[in-house]
Amino acid sequence: MKNIVLGQYLPGQGFFYRMDPRTKIIGVIALMVAIFLLETIPQLLIALAIGVVCMLLGRLSIKRIAKGMRPLFILLIFTFFFQILFNKEGSILLQETLTISLASIGAIIALTILWRLLAKLRRFRFLLLLGYLAGVYFSLAYLAYGYTFASFVFTVYERGVEMSVFVVIRLLVIITLSTILTLTTKPTDLTQGLESLMRPLKVIGIRSDEFALIISISLRYIPTILDEANKIMAAQASRGADFLQGRLKDKIRQIISLLVPMFIIAFKRSEDLADAMETRNFIPGMKRTRISELAFGKTDILATLFIVSSLAASIVLRVL
Amino acid sequence: MGIHFREVSFHYPQNQLTFYQAIADITLQIAKQDEFICLIGRTGSGKSTLAQHMNALLLPTEGSVEIFGSLITNKRDKKINYNLLRKHVGLVFQFPEYQLFEETVEKDIMFGPLNFHVPPEQAKQIASETIKLVGLDETYLKRNPFNLSGGEKKRVSIAGILAFDPDILVLDEPTSGLDPQGKIQMMELFKAIQAKTGKSIIIITHDMDLVYEHASRVIVLHDGSLIYDESPEVLFRRGDLEQFHLQYPNTIKVLSALRDRFGLDLDIYQKNLPDALLAIKKAVAR
Repeated sequence: MKNIVLGQYLPGQGFFYRMDPRTKIIGVIALMVAIFLLETIPQLLIALAIGVVCMLLGRLSIKRIAKGMRPLFILLIFTFFFQILFNKEGSILLQETLTISLASIGAIIALTILWRLLAKLRRFRFLLLLGYLAGVYFSLAYLAYGYTFASFVFTVYERGVEMSVFVVIRLLVIITLSTILTLTTKPTDLTQGLESLMRPLKVIGIRSDEFALIISISLRYIPTILDEANKIMAAQASRGADFLQGRLKDKIRQIISLLVPMFIIAFKRSEDLADAMETRNFIPGMKRTRISELAFGKTDILATLFIVSSLAASIVLRVL
Repeated sequence: MGIHFREVSFHYPQNQLTFYQAIADITLQIAKQDEFICLIGRTGSGKSTLAQHMNALLLPTEGSVEIFGSLITNKRDKKINYNLLRKHVGLVFQFPEYQLFEETVEKDIMFGPLNFHVPPEQAKQIASETIKLVGLDETYLKRNPFNLSGGEKKRVSIAGILAFDPDILVLDEPTSGLDPQGKIQMMELFKAIQAKTGKSIIIITHDMDLVYEHASRVIVLHDGSLIYDESPEVLFRRGDLEQFHLQYPNTIKVLSALRDRFGLDLDIYQKNLPDALLAIKKAVAR
């Protein structure tokens, strides 16, 4: 538990790492706007290709980025089916009457049992899910035997398929962009960049430096508190409160035995930290110097040029 | 019976690629009865990790640990009730803050027995007995554990383990944070428990005086490896302890300094202060 990777930051080399966090933050926002301005699938594919080339030039592993996006896969699949089911424009591609009958219900139950049995093969999880869904669809479409409960017409329109592909690619590109940002920027650099960018907000009374301090202290203490939580769990487990065993009633009691010491330790730690900061002459609101100042370098100029030209290109494409 | 380590190694994962090896290839046996073991070694040598293997809080990455007949390996075995193993081996952690959570000391001491299904009435009875055992009186039972001093918290946390009557007691620095008087009291308590019940006791400590005076067996860890497992008499006659960042007990240090300074014919291996004084008197009379 000593070195927890916070967020997704992965140490590495390449120009993405050398860039100023401010350039990266503004760049990601600007490129997202540019992506939203694009209107056709080929344009998006070109954008995706440019993105992949940039990742290769920046020596980022595409495998690693895909891994970071895994939790969002469900969102992508959901968006895909949502578009197909509810977009009713263009010509009809497929029309099928789906029947809920005794035979199809039986088939679905059998499929579900088979799917759960095969769930041990975690590597093929995704393929299995697709196979299961396809199986459900076919049993609804063709197994209309026995007593029929209800039936409805399922139609897929041309525009629906087109839009679903479009939306999924767009989401994919946008997620890739933000993944590159979080993968190549340390959380502390990210907050420093945000602080620097939000400094003009001082005019309307928002103090970005205090904000950044709060965020960086919280980030710093997440691993510490986690470490502490582990120790508390071990201490309570050695008094017979194993968090992996026991009934629900016991579990609630075990969670209390974890939360109370955790809050007390967290409060004590924050008081200690406040004292330690004051002894080192920390005064809220005073201007502080930093060990590592943000610097705008050659890479940043190139990156800015690239970002501005991409944004301009997508505006031009949109207007034409 | 007891605890049997067989070639145990443990890695703490650091990230996907690297790990930190806390203990390596440790084989040792701890009997159920009559052992008074001190576990020593510099900070970070793996003492606490080893202790957490003794009641299956950590599962060995390699090798196996046999705890009262249950074989603990890398994989969680559904047939083994890990919770019950902890009733056999009671582990007291170094910092009482990690353990105390109830609103009264009494409830906190009862937490362990209740988890092991002791009836509430009996648990209450046990709480008032154990609080006296650790040198506090019954008025403490109704107090809030968070308003106690560091030493008192420590005693309450030890009482919390003693309450469910484990067969083997493992204590991680039980005397740290106690004043000298408290230390002596605590050690006397452990000795008394052993004299009465014959339970094996394992203590992690940095206090060599305590090791020399009380231990019947010393286990020395260095960088995760077991380097010595022998009686303190043999251990402190070795000349190479400093290379493992270990000190000699004060009696040996003082007596050897006197011997060298005045050229006395002195037996420097004395376990406590009265014996050391006696040895000096004898040497001077000669």
